[in-house]
Amino acid sequence: MSMSKKTEEELDRWSKEVKRGAVTLAILALLSKRRAYGYEAVKLLGEKMSFLALEQGTVYPLLRRLEQRELLRSEWDYEDPTKPKKYYAVTEEGQMALGAMVKDWSILSREMREVVLEVE
Amino acid sequence: MSSNDPLKLIEQYLERVRVYLPLDSEDAIVELQTHLIEEAQRIGGGTMTAGSAMMAIERMGDPKNVANEYAGSGKKVGPVPAEYANPVSRIVIVLLAIAAAFITGISLLGVALTDLFGASIQNWPFSIPIMIILNLVIIGGIIGIISLLDRDKPLTEKTTLESIFGLGVDGFKPKGRWDALGDVVMGIFWGIVVMLPAVVILYTDAFTAIYMVVAIFLFLGAVKGALFYLGGENNFNLALEGFLSVVWIALAIVLINIGWPVRYVYSYDGIAWSLFDLTDFFTSYDIPFVPFDWIWAFIMFITVVIAVWRVIVASMKITMHLRAGRKLWWQGNWGERRSLRTPLWKRILGEHDQFQKQSTVRHDGYREPDESQ
Repeated sequence: MSMSKKTEEELDRWSKEVKRGAVTLAILALLSKRRAYGYEAVKLLGEKMSFLALEQGTVYPLLRRLEQRELLRSEWDYEDPTKPKKYYAVTEEGQMALGAMVKDWSILSREMREVVLEVE
Repeated sequence: MSSNDPLKLIEQYLERVRVYLPLDSEDAIVELQTHLIEEAQRIGGGTMTAGSAMMAIERMGDPKNVANEYAGSGKKVGPVPAEYANPVSRIVIVLLAIAAAFITGISLLGVALTDLFGASIQNWPFSIPIMIILNLVIIGGIIGIISLLDRDKPLTEKTTLESIFGLGVDGFKPKGRWDALGDVVMGIFWGIVVMLPAVVILYTDAFTAIYMVVAIFLFLGAVKGALFYLGGENNFNLALEGFLSVVWIALAIVLINIGWPVRYVYSYDGIAWSLFDLTDFFTSYDIPFVPFDWIWAFIMFITVVIAVWRVIVASMKITMHLRAGRKLWWQGNWGERRSLRTPLWKRILGEHDQFQKQSTVRHDGYREPDESQ
């Protein structure tokens, strides 16, 4: 059954809202395992999080905001002068925030699953 | 003109993005550059070609949107859309700074604004807002026509509007490392020349009284150059530059009143060197000394305009760095343009670009047309 235009619009709005919160958690989780530079982070998110389907322009400002909020720290690598890389890694503050987010996310997803199952 | 060199295409595109970014966005440009190169290499199967670079650029999108999304560069200001907030504010600052610099320079020369524009402006001062509104309408019309003419340009080519908006970008770039070294060398050289006894005897009495102040100022300029050479652009160096510029403006007030500083020039009559008195020569032949006074006034005017510009830029940059949480001293940047290509002198010595222009030849022998030249 194809979706009506109104349903599509609602779905679009809802996914944007869900993605907005989820992407911070996804970036922190991915970078907590290993540091990565911008392009790597964009590709990692693209590969592992197809639902998020992030535009490349969305990831960089988010990395910058998380850095400003001291959840991430960055370090430039000039080893290849033609492609300097700004590596991002999770700070101690970021690790603590990630832990709290994961805890909340687990509760949320468990409860959501139960509610959604009732609907199905 | 579109190029076939993939690196040039990326540089041209980044120049367009730079126009829409805030002043302290060099990090964002470098990140974008790395992103585009890696994406172009991925698209080209490990090799960057003009075609793959162009595709990476097209995927990145319109420069003003990229700048706005990527760096979160602007918020809508009044009628100015977010994407244009940075270039518009920059060009307004540039115009105001130029106006302030010129007004200061002219005032030091003792010229009143009414002398320049005439005192007969109708309905002064109410005519001013009307003139501003009329000019804004005309500018809006011109921008509209220019945008229409530019609509078919490729992504790597600056639009006419961007060329206008980009005028202020160079004025705000940090001092280059070689420029800083030039300041050191020239400061020391001219500082010594100004103090040489053989030169000091040429001065007018009034200038003789203060030439040491000028020499000290030149040596301070050399110290400033050395600090920029070592530490790049940081708050300490900017503050020193702003301070020295203010000192120069104060000194210029004195120097303008002193007038042309050289009274004598060396003259050789075939047997020996002697001093030739310029003032005596001009007065004895009833020639006014005006040309020299005008040259002196012009030199002072130019140096004061530059000094005012430096004070404005230094204050703006210090405020910007303080807002970013930076302290007094750090290893700052220099203003050299990063080029992805190997400089000419290195190429002459046999060093080549890391990214060579390579044609993409398909299995059936087809060569991408845009790389065939």
